[in-house]
Amino acid sequence: MTSVASGVARKKKVTPSAILMRASMIMIIGVAVYWLGLNLTSDPRQFAQVTVNGLNNGLLYALIALGYTLVYGIIELINFAHGDLFMLGAVFSFAVLTEALGATGPSATNYALLLVVLLLSMLFCAFINVSIERLAYRRLRNAPRLAPLITAVGMSFVLQWIGLKWIGSNPVNVNTVLPSSDFEVAGVVIAVKTLIIFAVTIPLLIVLAFIVNKTRRGRAMRATAQDKDASRLMGIDVNQTITFTFAIAGAAAGAAGLMWAQTTGTVAYNLGFQLGLVAFTAAVLGGVGNLYGAVLGGIIIGLIQSYNDGLAIGPGQRWSQTMVFTLLILLMVYRPGGLLGETAQEKV
Amino acid sequence: MSLDGRAVLDAQNIRVEFGGLVAVDDVSFTIPEGSIVSLIGPNGAGKTTFFNVLTGLYKPTSGAVIFDNAEITGDPVHDIASGGLARTFQNIRLFGLMTAQENVMVAMHSKMNAGVFATIFRTKKQKAEEAEARRFAQELLDYVGIGGVTNEYARNLSYGDQRRLEVARALALRPKVLLLDEPTAGMNPNESAAFVDFVRKLKADKGISILLIEHDMSVVMQVSERITVLDQGQKIAEGSPAEIKSNPRVIEAYLGKSGSEASK
Amino acid sequence: MSNTAPAHTAVSGNRKWAIGFTSVVAFFFILNKFILPEAGSGVQKFFNAWFSLTSMAEIMIWIIMALGLNIIVGYAGLLDLGYVAFWALGGYVAGWLMSPFFSGLNINFFGNPRPGLEFGIHFHVFLVLILGGVFTAIWGVIIGGPTLRLKSDYLALVTLGFGEIIPQFMLNGADIAGYNVTNGAQGIGGLDDVNLFGYVIGTFALPEKFLMVSLMAGAMIFFSIRLRDGRLGRAWLAIREDELAASMMGVPLWRTKFASYAIGAVGGGIGGVGFAILVGGVYADRFNFVISIIILAMVVMGGMGNVWGVVVGAVTLAWINSVGLIQVGELVNNSFGTNINFPSYQFLLFGLLLVLMMLFRREGFIPEARIRMVMNEDKVDEEVSDETKIASK
Repeated sequence: MTSVASGVARKKKVTPSAILMRASMIMIIGVAVYWLGLNLTSDPRQFAQVTVNGLNNGLLYALIALGYTLVYGIIELINFAHGDLFMLGAVFSFAVLTEALGATGPSATNYALLLVVLLLSMLFCAFINVSIERLAYRRLRNAPRLAPLITAVGMSFVLQWIGLKWIGSNPVNVNTVLPSSDFEVAGVVIAVKTLIIFAVTIPLLIVLAFIVNKTRRGRAMRATAQDKDASRLMGIDVNQTITFTFAIAGAAAGAAGLMWAQTTGTVAYNLGFQLGLVAFTAAVLGGVGNLYGAVLGGIIIGLIQSYNDGLAIGPGQRWSQTMVFTLLILLMVYRPGGLLGETAQEKV
Repeated sequence: MSLDGRAVLDAQNIRVEFGGLVAVDDVSFTIPEGSIVSLIGPNGAGKTTFFNVLTGLYKPTSGAVIFDNAEITGDPVHDIASGGLARTFQNIRLFGLMTAQENVMVAMHSKMNAGVFATIFRTKKQKAEEAEARRFAQELLDYVGIGGVTNEYARNLSYGDQRRLEVARALALRPKVLLLDEPTAGMNPNESAAFVDFVRKLKADKGISILLIEHDMSVVMQVSERITVLDQGQKIAEGSPAEIKSNPRVIEAYLGKSGSEASK
Repeated sequence: MSNTAPAHTAVSGNRKWAIGFTSVVAFFFILNKFILPEAGSGVQKFFNAWFSLTSMAEIMIWIIMALGLNIIVGYAGLLDLGYVAFWALGGYVAGWLMSPFFSGLNINFFGNPRPGLEFGIHFHVFLVLILGGVFTAIWGVIIGGPTLRLKSDYLALVTLGFGEIIPQFMLNGADIAGYNVTNGAQGIGGLDDVNLFGYVIGTFALPEKFLMVSLMAGAMIFFSIRLRDGRLGRAWLAIREDELAASMMGVPLWRTKFASYAIGAVGGGIGGVGFAILVGGVYADRFNFVISIIILAMVVMGGMGNVWGVVVGAVTLAWINSVGLIQVGELVNNSFGTNINFPSYQFLLFGLLLVLMMLFRREGFIPEARIRMVMNEDKVDEEVSDETKIASK
């Protein structure tokens, strides 16, 4: 019954299992540090290269993780459909920017179109996310926890099916607008794309953080997340606030989708499932419900995945998912609250 | 009266802090064996928090709870319950989609032994155990006066019957101490009066010590052998009903609050 | 005092359902063993298209899987989204312990190796079933142990991850530090024929294999019902209904949830062994997330916790998935001259099924009063609290 007990434990027993936990954790961290150190010393240039790649992906993960964390923070729902929303964002941007508008290859007009479609993609995903909340999750707000969770899984399948029907079952190549050129800094190759990701993602993250932390809407969001009934009494329109949260989360997914399609140059209907899971792991790693945690978690997961896939001495890409999910399971064992979160305890 | 008896439950210097807030401030409290005692106080006085410390739901920041001569502070909730400290809930928390009988039988879980294999293959022992559990459940349902609803789902029972089922379920733990959390909430005066008789009968029949948390002053005054008053997390008075009635601090605490409560 | 009446209303129904199940199994066995071989080609064709024995046998495996997950999701109310991992693990236990795969070893324990392929490990099928259950239970303990102490949502997440890791491990397992553990994407084929007390069920003896997995499914149904009606079943339902109240009535939460998760895992493992024997091998690419969700949909559709409901859910969805979509699609396309790819609607079908069931029919298609109530808890709660408010005035 430890999950519902709160307050401070009076007698802190040091049990053998606690010692075992601590020791095993130190061992695991030790192995990880040794592995990274080994790679760093054996080939520092490659290590830096892989780090840059990891940051690139990590920022995109952060954008997706943000959506999970916002929704979880406000209605305590793991929105399994969120990864697929991201996939639809990628597919949408491909359909509009690449196919309908024919924007391929770098040019001034294409950059302008890119920004327009970025906005459209954000609106598109926000709309879908809000619709899902209205049609499904809202009706289940007072239902037992299992019901909205299962609904979210179902929604994830429905969205995947839309993606499947939209672009077919095979991955599709995207002729990107972004330049494929790169430059070298101290032997490390940095793609211009990576810089563009930084240039788009970081301001987006700052804007989102600003909305949540500094605006009235954001305050309403945080209040609703803490206590719905009290917020209602304080005159906050809870339904509207939740709608707004889903809109923001959707917009972030839409932006991430477009950036993904443009930087990796490929979209597939099942993109959302794998990436969604990775992103959720990122959100949990950072401390689910915590905005900065999601960003931090996204970056760390991006790095870990990149190190796993790219370092000379390492498990290699075929173990990529396994690495991420093993990390998730280890997190649950050692630090369920995440890096920046509180411990995951049940509210009584 | 039995107030001088050995304390079956003894809470020593309980203090509970949430964040920086002190919800219960250094409260000591005992339940003598075979007595009926009450805990009262205005809303937000810390009654429920204190109650939750006794049942193990909260761990106190400091202090100790001694139950039946053993310290139980920090023990798991289910161990405390099966050790003989039973409770009912202020807002009824039955297992809605289980029958009344099953509800009571859940509370016998810790006293039963059947494992997976015994259950699947219905061993002789398991059958006997189940039959005995069913018999005891029926006995308890009859005792609280709802013997006719054995196979009804708890959800479908009337409000009054649900309250009774909660008591029957708590009794299935074969408790030494029964904690009743606002048991007369939602009852009319007749029902409350009947409840007072029931609590007395319970004590007389089963020798169970009873702790009441109650809002209804007439119930508290009628049934309690000793009353403890909490206000703002502190114990401000303790004594017989007559003493409490005339205690100026209690009157102040209640009058100060009663104005705001009337406006609700 | 009438305490002889059973604590629930399902018992008299159980007998009818059991007779129904046995009749259907007997029908398909006799049909395929004795009648069809003699029947005209039209009849043969019809049954092979719509009710092929292969798909019927697979349906039995789905029943086992769904009932295993039902113990976790339906009884104890814990969401497992990676149940396919147990299927895979059980399958590989069969692959490892009754095939020539580990060619460096030569172990035979009442096994039935094929002539000339005596190397490898060959255990008796009963032992393999037991070990399959034990092996998955161990994994259930590893996964459930730490996770079940946390909020219930985290279990969903961790199991989801687990359901991804295990198949990936099996797929990559041809080279684990130089050892071939799972034979990778090729999988492990050529499993030993089952030898039951001297009676050998040959590789192509489909009616007998069907009977065997049907017996397993029947046993699973029996276990499920018995467990529900005992001490443990009551504790599970109590936790599903109200965790806090259950713990305050002396039910140890973690241990009880843990039991549900481990026993549910055993069901998956045994089903996995059965499936491997049925298809004569184990192949990593079969195990994916969709499988976990289909099993979940079966439990949801049948009315979580309701054993016979889940059986019907499993039969229906498994049939639609393996035969129905293709056959109905062909029928529609041929009749109306359309060209719709029905199987490509699989995702939509299962996705919508989950969503719509949760929104409109949470009690399942075959409602048991008990389930109807639990899933509509919110409404009842409101009523009660209203009463309280009125009464307290």
